[in-house]
Amino acid sequence: MNYIKLDKTRCKACYLCVDVCPKKLIIKGSQPNSLGHFPVEFKDPDNKCIGCAMCAMRCPDIAITEVVKN
Amino acid sequence: MIKTTEKLVFESPKSLKAGMKFPFCAGCDHGVAIRLVAEVLDEMNLKEKTIAVASIGCSVMLYDYLDTDCIEAPHGRALAAATGVKRTNKDKFVLTYQGDGDFASIGLAESLHAALRGEKVSAICINNTTYGMTGGQAGPTTIMGQITKTSPNGRNEEYYGYPIKIAEQIALCDGTAYSARCSLDSIANIKKTKEAIRKTFEVQLQGLGFGFVEILSTCPTNWHLTPQESHERVRNELFQVYPLGVYKEV
Amino acid sequence: MTKKLTTGNHAIAQAAINAGCDGYFGYPITPQSEIGEFMSKKMQELERAYVCAESEIAAINMVLGACSTGAKAMTSSSSCAVALMQESLSYIAADELPVVLVSVMRAGPGLGYIYPSQGDYNQATIGGGNGDYKIIVLAPSTVQECIDLTYKSFYLAQKYRNPTILLADGLLAQMMEPVEFNEYPYPEIPIEDWALTGAKNRASRAIYSLEPKEDRLVERINTLFNKYKQIEENEVEFEEYQTDNADLIVTCFGSIARNVKSAINQCREKGLKVGMLRPITLYPFPTKKYQELAKTTKKFLTIEMNMGQMVRDVRLAVNGQVPVEFFGKSVGQWLSVEDIIAEIERFNG
Repeated sequence: MNYIKLDKTRCKACYLCVDVCPKKLIIKGSQPNSLGHFPVEFKDPDNKCIGCAMCAMRCPDIAITEVVKN
Repeated sequence: MIKTTEKLVFESPKSLKAGMKFPFCAGCDHGVAIRLVAEVLDEMNLKEKTIAVASIGCSVMLYDYLDTDCIEAPHGRALAAATGVKRTNKDKFVLTYQGDGDFASIGLAESLHAALRGEKVSAICINNTTYGMTGGQAGPTTIMGQITKTSPNGRNEEYYGYPIKIAEQIALCDGTAYSARCSLDSIANIKKTKEAIRKTFEVQLQGLGFGFVEILSTCPTNWHLTPQESHERVRNELFQVYPLGVYKEV
Repeated sequence: MTKKLTTGNHAIAQAAINAGCDGYFGYPITPQSEIGEFMSKKMQELERAYVCAESEIAAINMVLGACSTGAKAMTSSSSCAVALMQESLSYIAADELPVVLVSVMRAGPGLGYIYPSQGDYNQATIGGGNGDYKIIVLAPSTVQECIDLTYKSFYLAQKYRNPTILLADGLLAQMMEPVEFNEYPYPEIPIEDWALTGAKNRASRAIYSLEPKEDRLVERINTLFNKYKQIEENEVEFEEYQTDNADLIVTCFGSIARNVKSAINQCREKGLKVGMLRPITLYPFPTKKYQELAKTTKKFLTIEMNMGQMVRDVRLAVNGQVPVEFFGKSVGQWLSVEDIIAEIERFNG
């Protein structure tokens, strides 16, 4: 199973990662963080993440702190 | 802790300070550019021999992000300071991280002469076509027609003249070993930018001369665009004025 | 040791080399261009750093960069070009970097001319950079002192991690005198605990002046001013000449002191009770010495090759205890021994 680790306290809700995920597994969140932003959420119930790390590469704030590939 | 069968394909680079958070606006490309610099420092094992030079602008607190030694230069003088560092410390790895206003307006003389002297340093210039930190005024790279706080009717020839094409100018200098223009608008271009940064570092280590990369970046706040729209602007408007490519490689 | 006939400019340059200067960065301007010329040859022979900078602004920032790594580095310049360096001197003071700047005064304002002048006393001691900061300023009056005070400039810059200006003038820079090049007499100051040497086996370091947090900025300025207090307590240097029972004390700095001394000798022969006090450190200024002498003398006469700059510091020091008069000609005009004697007789009368 491939997955990403998301640090929601770092997310500024620019949503650039939402657009680059080829499997559309990152969505705009509905719960605000301490910065007042609505950070993204990673939803992968069907284990579709391919571990491409494009979201992490795109993120300007290293809110996606790790990408793990099996 | 990841399992032994698992492979970490991305993690925060060691050359960034642990736990550090960028203070940039949401969607600003600075964070990507600085992370790429740190990734290349990691991959080339340069952290311990690096002396970075910070400039004035949004990039000023570079020392808060990079976990390397760092000196702050007065506005525009990063490459003069870098020259002083490198000439007295030939074994050190010296890089500057500057905005386009710092590099190509107030600091144009220092930048151009560092390139002409072939200083063995690496310079990274973030071109976002505006003075970001002061609130979005017209800068040396503001493109024709661009509306800013000090070009309310758009940049025109009569009042402002023309923007500077930095990578091309630096490529004209005999001391330059590498000059390229990259962009951070897409994943493909982020990867190319990282390779260009690597190249600017390599030419320094090989003693070939001045290494330079101009990175087209966004300023969503002052462009009054969303981060997504900002990258579209880079593609639709900036690429025509500032074509990507390697302008010199020795 | 045999004496060597040397110009002030060459004396300064050779002394810098003897002091272990690792890097010279400069841009030509008369009357100090010979320093850069000398350095271009010697530094390359010694395989030390030398750069023909594109401007004085670049030169001082190259020195800033070099000094941030603990290197001994310097630049030299003059008047209107030292004006260009003021922003960086403020940064350097805030960064606490051991920068040495040789400032050889010419006549101003503006482009002025290359005549000898002392018109940059204010520029050196007050400065034109922003914010609260102080620069150590040493003023030689002979070519031998050009050597000795160049050594001292490097030493004090390192000791206090503070920018230091050697303030000479065109007369001193261009004239030749027999001098002795003794060895650099000061101990080397360790740089390991602050210099940028690469973050190997230690945490990374940064040298910067930006302080967005108010309390931290206040703390840093207080640290600077505690250091300045130490400098003021420890480093005051002056020359006192024939001040015993003097009714009039002539006070001056730099090259004009040579004529003042001759004038005092002649006045003493005439039976006039005259002495001289010459600050060697313009900052720290010998305030206490003036206050001490104000108790015994009747008057001070400040003589400068300008329209009256140091006289303000003299008046601040004397603080109304006795009168402080000024004699000077507009910058660029040499004051002869006869001029000075006439003035002493006038003020003494």
